[in-house]
Amino acid sequence: MSKKLILSIAAVCLSTAMGSAQALDGAALFKNPQKGGCTACHGKDAKSPIMPMYPKLAGQNSAYLLQQLKDIKSGKRNNGMTAAMKGIMHMVNDDEMKAISDYLATLKP
Amino acid sequence: MKFKSKLASGLVIAGLSIMMSTSAFAWNEGGGEKDEAMHLTPDLENGREVYEVCSACHYPEGWGTEDGTFPQLAGQYRAVLIKQLADIRERNRDNPTMYPFALPESIGDAQALADVVEYISTLPMNPDNGKGQWAEGTAEFTQGKKLYDDNCVKCHGDHGQGDKVKFYPRIEGQHYKYMLRQFEWIRDGKRRNANPDMVKQIKAFSDKDMQMVINYVSRIKVDKKDLAPSKDWKNPDFD
Repeated sequence: MSKKLILSIAAVCLSTAMGSAQALDGAALFKNPQKGGCTACHGKDAKSPIMPMYPKLAGQNSAYLLQQLKDIKSGKRNNGMTAAMKGIMHMVNDDEMKAISDYLATLKP
Repeated sequence: MKFKSKLASGLVIAGLSIMMSTSAFAWNEGGGEKDEAMHLTPDLENGREVYEVCSACHYPEGWGTEDGTFPQLAGQYRAVLIKQLADIRERNRDNPTMYPFALPESIGDAQALADVVEYISTLPMNPDNGKGQWAEGTAEFTQGKKLYDDNCVKCHGDHGQGDKVKFYPRIEGQHYKYMLRQFEWIRDGKRRNANPDMVKQIKAFSDKDMQMVINYVSRIKVDKKDLAPSKDWKNPDFD
């Protein structure tokens, strides 16, 4: 394999990786009404929910958040205030839920 | 016997009036917070502040989402918006996602309803609302227009303008998928504050009829003076 080819393959891989990282900006997803409008309930900073019934999310573990998101979306978890959230869960897919969870985990509680 | 029959007819009348008042309540009972908000003098500045809560889902522009999860609010009549807000607050329209935001604890009292609706009335409409799949010239579009003319014009008007005095919503320019969902809920009895006349009118609509008529409505051209200059317009009141 020529050096040039290897380099161009590497470049393609890199740009693909960057492309998907760019496409899945957890912070932007979290604030996007097209992706559920998370901030409406949980606050722009993810720690000022509009009602005390809603959880603060900033600094929560990513794995825990992702599992709750998946369970609320599937209906497996349907207690508490999930009725309010279920209606918007079709707006995010698994990768987006992961990106949002990762972003929230990076925030200071 | 005479007494008994009088009593019986009295009971029938009482029962009937309860039934009637219940159905009036479900669609559009007078009085209450709705009337109160309708008659208050709105404070636009406070309306802008209240709207910030709404903007997290309905967008700062009030345009909602094309996938229909959140409807466009821009362009809707004051009376319609106040009625729907008051109905959601009173649990006369089930909307678990919006319910917490409609509560007085979140947005305030009847004055806040008057204020926020006044603010929404300043927003220009989305020039690029979500549309159904059938363009003008297709058989489905034509059939949808026919269904509209035969069933909907009387209340929603010849171009989907509705009637602000009678609380009939403006439907031109609304997202296809939002209207489809609401139409289905109204037809199937899930929208508790639906107008009973409409429920009756659309009872026989098949799913395809419903898609065709809503497709047509989603493609009605809204008067340019009510639209934002471009689909990239941003509301300067919010960053």
